[in-house]
Amino acid sequence: MSGQKTLYIDYSLCIGCETCEYVCRFTNDTSRIHMTRTIDGVMVPLYCQHCENPKCANACPRGALKRDKDGALILQSMFCRGCQTKNCILACPHSAMFETDRGVMVAKCDMCAQRRQVGMGPACVEMCPCVAIRYVDRDEISALETEKSKLAHQKVLDHLKLPGKD
Amino acid sequence: MDPMNFNFLCSEPAAPNGRSVGIIGAGPSGLAATGYLSCLGYQVEVYDKLPKPGGLMLFGIPGHRIPKERIDLGARKLERKGGVIFHTHTKICCSGPLHDEEGDHFCREILGFGDMVKKHDAIMICTGSWRSRKLGIPGENLSGVFSGLEFLFPIRAVKYSAPNVKLPDVAGKTLAVIGAGHSAVDVAHSAVHLGAAKVYLIYRRTSREAPCGAFEIEQLRQMGVEWLDRTTPLQVLGGSKVEGLEISRPGQNEAEVSVLPVDLVVTAIGETATPPFAKELGLENVRKGEVRWLHMTAIENVFVAGDALSGPSKIGKAGYSGLRAARSLANWLDLKAPDRLDAYDYNDLVTNEAGFRS
Repeated sequence: MSGQKTLYIDYSLCIGCETCEYVCRFTNDTSRIHMTRTIDGVMVPLYCQHCENPKCANACPRGALKRDKDGALILQSMFCRGCQTKNCILACPHSAMFETDRGVMVAKCDMCAQRRQVGMGPACVEMCPCVAIRYVDRDEISALETEKSKLAHQKVLDHLKLPGKD
Repeated sequence: MDPMNFNFLCSEPAAPNGRSVGIIGAGPSGLAATGYLSCLGYQVEVYDKLPKPGGLMLFGIPGHRIPKERIDLGARKLERKGGVIFHTHTKICCSGPLHDEEGDHFCREILGFGDMVKKHDAIMICTGSWRSRKLGIPGENLSGVFSGLEFLFPIRAVKYSAPNVKLPDVAGKTLAVIGAGHSAVDVAHSAVHLGAAKVYLIYRRTSREAPCGAFEIEQLRQMGVEWLDRTTPLQVLGGSKVEGLEISRPGQNEAEVSVLPVDLVVTAIGETATPPFAKELGLENVRKGEVRWLHMTAIENVFVAGDALSGPSKIGKAGYSGLRAARSLANWLDLKAPDRLDAYDYNDLVTNEAGFRS
C-alpha cells in the first residue's frame, strides 16, 4: 500500500496544547481531531489514521467513505445525509468519527482535502508546535517510531480499550 | 525541521493590499493573527518585549517539549515570505511600572500606545498572561520565593544574554515546588538538572487530580523528586530569606503540621492576564461579548485576542482566538473602506461563537 498518505502522531511528543484541534476548527468549522488524555496524563489527540483496512468504510451501509488519490478516507456527505445508524462512529477503533450538529451528522478528517487540492498539506501538521503530528507515507511510520513513542502508544491503546481486545 | 507554519492558510501571500496592522505580542495568538493577516497581503508589524518572537512557546515551555528551532523558523518564514516586520525588545507602554513583569528587563524601547493607534490602520493586543498568581500565605514575599515564570523564564532567557537575567542559583539547595501542572513539573525537572540537592513537589490533591498527570509525577520521582500530595503550604518561614516551609498534611485523625527545611520555594499555581489599559479599552465588556464588533475594544481600531482577553489557556485556544480576531479585524477594515459597516452581521458572529469563551 505504498504511496498512501496518512497522519501519524507520536504521542510521546504531544504536550496536549490543542493547536491541532483549534486549527482544524478554524479551517473546517467543526474540528476533526479532538484532544483527550489518559488518566495518568498521556495526551491523546483522537485522530483518523486513514486505516488500510477501514472499519468505518466497511460498516457504512451506504458506501459513503471512499479513498481519494492520496489515500485519505473521504466522507461523501451526499451519501451520508439522512443515515442515522451511526455504524461508522461505533466501528472506528480510534474514536475518530465525530458526531456534529452542523451539516451531516458525522465529521471526519479528510486530511484537508481542499488544501491538498491547491498544493498545501493538512493544517494541523503545519501548525503543531511540537512536530508531534506528521503527514507521511504509511510505509514511513515504522522509521519514525521510537522506544518512547511505542511506550506512549501502548498506554493509549490500553486507554482506548479497542473493541474485541482486553 | 519544518517551521511552525503561521502562514498555514496560504502557500503564497497575496499581493500587498496597502494596509498596515500592528500586533502587540509575538506569542501564539499574536503570531497566528500575523500569519492570517500577512497571507491576506497586510503589512504586519509585530512588537514584543522579548528578544525573539515566540512568547511563552519559546521562553516558558522548555525546549524538549517545543523545539526552539521550529518556532524560530516559523517567525523567519513570516518575515521572508509574509514581509512581516518584528520589533523585538520593544514594549508598548505600559500597564504598570517597567520591570513589573517577567521579561521586561529585555526592553530597549518603549513606544506609546497613542502613536501606535495613529501609525497603523488597526492594532491588535495579544500580550498574554504574565502575572503570576499568589498563594496568599505569610512569608510569600521573602527572598527565595519565586513564581514558576520567575524561575523558568531566566533558564530560557539567559541564552540571550540580557544583563539582568541570571540563572536561579539552586546547586546544592533544597527546593519546594508548589503545584502539579506542567509548569510545576518543568520547574522540578529544571531544578534537578541545575544540581538541586533535594526537590519536593507539593500538591493539595492527589496525583489522580494533578493537571500534569500521574505519569509525569512518576518520572519525576524516578529522578529523585519527593512527591507530597494532599499537602497545603501554610507559611514560608525565615528572617530575610527562606529558611523553611510550614505545611499541613492529613494525619490519622487530624491534620499534621510540619516544617520542610528548604532554601527556595517556587509557586507554580498559574498566571493571570496582563492586558495594557484594560479599563480604557473596556476589556471586561469584550470578554462578556458585549461589543459592536467581535474582538474589538472600546477604541474602534484596537482589537484584542488570546490570553490577554480570556486569561490563561493553551496554545491552541490562544491561536484560535488570534485567528478569529484577525478575521474580524480584516472584516472591519474591508467594510469600513467602502462605508458599509452596517453590513456586519453582529449577531451571527457573536452569539453563534459565544461558546468559545467557555
